[in-house]
Amino acid sequence: MVAKYVMLADTTRCINCKACEVACRAEWDTPLGYSRDWVKEVESVNAKGMPELQIFPGRCQHCDDAPCVEVCPTGASWKREDGIVLVDHDICSGCELCVPACPYDARWLNPVTNTISKCTFCQPRIDKGLQPACVETCVGNALIFGDANDPNSEVSILLKTKEWQRLITDEVNIGPNHYYYTAGKTIPVEVMPKLHERHLAGKSIESIVNPLGTIGIGGMMAVFLGAGVKKLVDRRKEVSEKEDNHEHH
Amino acid sequence: MSTTKPQGTIKVRTRDVIFIHWFNAFFWLVLVLTGFGIISGDFVRLVPAFWPTFMQNLLGGNVNLALLHAIGGIAWAGVIGVYAVLNFKRVVLPFLKNVLVLTPKAAIADLISMTITLAHLFGLLKNLKVPPQGRYNGAQRLLGTMIIASSLAIASTGLYLFLAPKLLTFSTLALYGELFRWALVIHVSAVLLVLLGLVAHIYFAVVEEPESLETMKSGNAEIAFIQHHNPLWYESLKKEGKV
Ligand code: SF4
Ligand code: SF4
Repeated sequence: MVAKYVMLADTTRCINCKACEVACRAEWDTPLGYSRDWVKEVESVNAKGMPELQIFPGRCQHCDDAPCVEVCPTGASWKREDGIVLVDHDICSGCELCVPACPYDARWLNPVTNTISKCTFCQPRIDKGLQPACVETCVGNALIFGDANDPNSEVSILLKTKEWQRLITDEVNIGPNHYYYTAGKTIPVEVMPKLHERHLAGKSIESIVNPLGTIGIGGMMAVFLGAGVKKLVDRRKEVSEKEDNHEHH
Repeated sequence: MSTTKPQGTIKVRTRDVIFIHWFNAFFWLVLVLTGFGIISGDFVRLVPAFWPTFMQNLLGGNVNLALLHAIGGIAWAGVIGVYAVLNFKRVVLPFLKNVLVLTPKAAIADLISMTITLAHLFGLLKNLKVPPQGRYNGAQRLLGTMIIASSLAIASTGLYLFLAPKLLTFSTLALYGELFRWALVIHVSAVLLVLLGLVAHIYFAVVEEPESLETMKSGNAEIAFIQHHNPLWYESLKKEGKV
């Protein structure tokens, strides 16, 4: 069976050391100020009136219904059979249509390559049988990566034995493959996905140009098909009338 | 009024014009087929998913397909552009004069004649006669104007879509990316607009007026056909002593 890669983040084990970020930036040589993964801190006051800090390591969620793939005109954004969402840098135009399409803010335009950067679950590493760089470096063992289709994998066992949550809302439920363990705590809204205003140009193609084009061209074809049929019928009538006249004479 | 049908044919198109027409048609076909193959994402795709998949597999990936489309586009625009410059006075200027619809009055007149022509196809508005037409009829003029404007838009936006990601650093100026996205909208819209008109163009050439198609192959037109369909043109040909 083909693999289905997932990432688990046990937030109770994360110590906010950001070693994952450093490892990712080193692995992918990202420009200063940019990173493919992150650790989000959310401060709140708990029921006892005490300040509390929740920590959420994050990255591309390798969504099942990835809008970043659906909006990409060149096909540079694509999803592998094993669920990893990748960017083909040879064809990516840097148009950024995919950037606001991602509700997890996982994509950015790389000023060095002029193409989109995002987490790939370290695809070249996992294809060699290694773990993603962030997982390998994680000091608190908070990040666990593996094949959810393999019943004996660590992720499969953990998914069965603990209560995991995903970053989904009523509005945004696109099948993320990143799970979080919070020991029963509610995930704060700050970490939840957001529906961004997509680029107007992309929306125009999707909602105006393509439907109008389809209706227009379809309509024209129907009209002229109708005209052609009418011409054929008229000609038949003409011929049979002529033949009738012939017989009468 | 009794009219005798004039006999014979007259040369109305030179070989180079015929070549450019079919060159344009061939490149349109190739560029539409490859172009529809490039646009992949479900939200922005124009044709069913099998087509981009098929074309990209055929060419060994979208990079090759996009490159082929771009080379084809540059060859198309380049050859027609150079031809237009070299033959501006002889071919382009008279063609533009005959075909361009530039004023609202002309547009309305052409729209009316086009509507009557279309209605006649369905046996409607039979009591209305199509007003006498020149070398190009109302529908042809509207289509011609639309194709010329769309082709200019397609060529310029296509060039930006191909070259901008290679020559500009989009991260330095948001405008570059914004222009790219809108260039894509204009490119696609203009292509769809032309395809819309082509449905009518091909129908008329194949079904209603195969004589026109013949003219686009041989360069010769039947004088009787011109007299019937393009009486204003016939008059001017007569004045020039050509018929
Ligand atoms: S998290 Fe964003 S970039 Fe990653 S697959 Fe989902 S939509 Fe695409
Ligand atoms: S920027 Fe995003 S949408 Fe545009 S081509 Fe690259 S991956 Fe696709």
